[in-house]
Amino acid sequence: MGRYVIRRLLQALLTLGIVLFLLHYLMALSVQIRGNPATLFFGGERTPDAAMLAQVERLYGLDNKCYERVGDPCLVPFADRLQQYVTGDLGTTLNGNRDVAQLLGIYIPNTLRLFVFATLTLVIVSMVLGTWAARHRGRFIDHTVRGTTILADSVPVFLILLSYVYIVAVPLTRWARGIWGTESFMGQVFRPNYNPDYPWITIIVPGIIVGTVGLATMTRLIRAAQLENLGSDFVRTAKAKGLRPMRITIVHVIRNSMIPIITGIGFLFAFMLSGAVLTEGVMGIPGMGRMIFEAVQRQEANLVIVGLSVSAVVVVFVSVIVDLLYAAFDPRIRYE
Amino acid sequence: MSELTAPTPTAERQATLWSDAFRTMRKRPDVIIATLVLLLVFTMAAFPGLFTDKDPTTCIGREAKERPSTWFTGDHPLGTDAFGCDFAATLVHGTRPTITLALSVIIVSALLGLVLGIYAGYYGGWTDGIISRGLDVFIVIPMLMGAMLILSLFRGRVSADNLFETIAAPTLALTLFGWMEFCRYTRAATLESKNLDYVVAAKCLGASDRRIMFKHILPNAIVPVTAIVPTTIGGIIVTEAALAVLGIGVQPPATSWGVLLSKGTEWAGGGYVYLFAWPLALLILTVFAFATFGDALRDALDPKLR
Repeated sequence: MGRYVIRRLLQALLTLGIVLFLLHYLMALSVQIRGNPATLFFGGERTPDAAMLAQVERLYGLDNKCYERVGDPCLVPFADRLQQYVTGDLGTTLNGNRDVAQLLGIYIPNTLRLFVFATLTLVIVSMVLGTWAARHRGRFIDHTVRGTTILADSVPVFLILLSYVYIVAVPLTRWARGIWGTESFMGQVFRPNYNPDYPWITIIVPGIIVGTVGLATMTRLIRAAQLENLGSDFVRTAKAKGLRPMRITIVHVIRNSMIPIITGIGFLFAFMLSGAVLTEGVMGIPGMGRMIFEAVQRQEANLVIVGLSVSAVVVVFVSVIVDLLYAAFDPRIRYE
Repeated sequence: MSELTAPTPTAERQATLWSDAFRTMRKRPDVIIATLVLLLVFTMAAFPGLFTDKDPTTCIGREAKERPSTWFTGDHPLGTDAFGCDFAATLVHGTRPTITLALSVIIVSALLGLVLGIYAGYYGGWTDGIISRGLDVFIVIPMLMGAMLILSLFRGRVSADNLFETIAAPTLALTLFGWMEFCRYTRAATLESKNLDYVVAAKCLGASDRRIMFKHILPNAIVPVTAIVPTTIGGIIVTEAALAVLGIGVQPPATSWGVLLSKGTEWAGGGYVYLFAWPLALLILTVFAFATFGDALRDALDPKLR
């Protein structure tokens, strides 16, 4: 086990290193092909004084000669960048000159709150639907759940988000406020945008929307796992002992179906992050996702790279944890 | 001296996996409906002239924002958009870039994934090491994020005249981050089938590596890959739309469903819901059809489920 953990961690570090290098190389290529982003500092259109440009280039670490040779991997700036990351210096934004590390400190908690609701939605809904479908296998309910999951698969988070924000939210909010009043829970929960005055209430609906990412995959995984367990020997024994059906479902079936659920969440984490980019961007939640969304639109390469690096670190970390949890949840799995 | 006679091929057709799958799928009503929807969409992409006689680029400012009060009849069956262009024509002509983009992405990424997957699975060793590490790296960045990265780093405002220039950049970005799933499935299938008897027999007879890979292993490996193709096409169409809403996908004045959606969001709140709802409905219908078809195909190609 110990040897496996070390090997898995080293592998994760290698992957992470390659991802970071790839991100850096893409940025270097973009500077080499498209020209210097430091000109953006002066508003893009004007041609600034050469000395001033050199000053700004130095400020953003773009003064290395390698940025003028197309295809050069720019290893020296890459090493510098890694060094800066380790010391906690993530650079500043081109627009407003704010410290990126400080911004992350504000944004990450908001995204985490979003993910709490998203994960809750995902787990609860897919558990209920999957268990339900498995228990009524082959019957009408099973087919209905199956059709619903295909529909959920084909109407992805992004379309649900747009239809909600631009079609449903406003009439719904107006209706709810007419009955319960503006300041009540119901009056705020359906808002089409985030409101910092109600930081928890107005994040519920976006959380639910992000949670629909992968609902279909999870439901299917859970249905399959439960069918396997329902037909197994230990469930038959439990039935023969005369245990109540509820107890069999919870203790013998659901607990043994935890493995696919963990795998699923680990696998879906990356997709939930990209769902969060759009959801936070459109609904105005000040989180990591909106940071990337706005950085893309304002062409702030550094912010995009930092955002993607953070997401890569999280994804790699989550996948390591998932692998280690396997052994904890299922005594049959042993890493030598 | 006895003579060996070659066995005469029997006239009776053998039941292959593919013909079985076709027969299973033909019987399901949901598959038939999905196929009809897809045929409609493909016809729209190939022959937009069949559905509308208007030109989406002739816009009359006087007729701007006419609501579709005369449903499906009259001059503007779906009304006009904010600049007075016929909306039905815009919608129909927006189909071609969307479909072409999705198909080119799927073809290139499936081919890339197949070849890399077969090489990784067949040769093993350091070839497999490099390709698997590449897989790990690209899987960390989801398709939408990767495409956002590429398109925002290399964005240039080019005025695109023809279809190719319109879709080239998003196609490239989506392909770069879309091949991993195909590669993984192919690699697994190759690992499974490379030690089967008939492959070993072919090797003993002196077949070259390339012949074994593409004549003997590929027909097996292509089955799980085919099963995920329709669903992936749906995913690509949606990702294109998401990129368009971010403003980095297909660039206006060229149209695609995504561009129409992102324009429609501006007007939906102001009471012109149809400008948003029509592309949305078309998109959902198409993606749902692809998903239904893919789901049925996956079941039909899985012999264990028979």
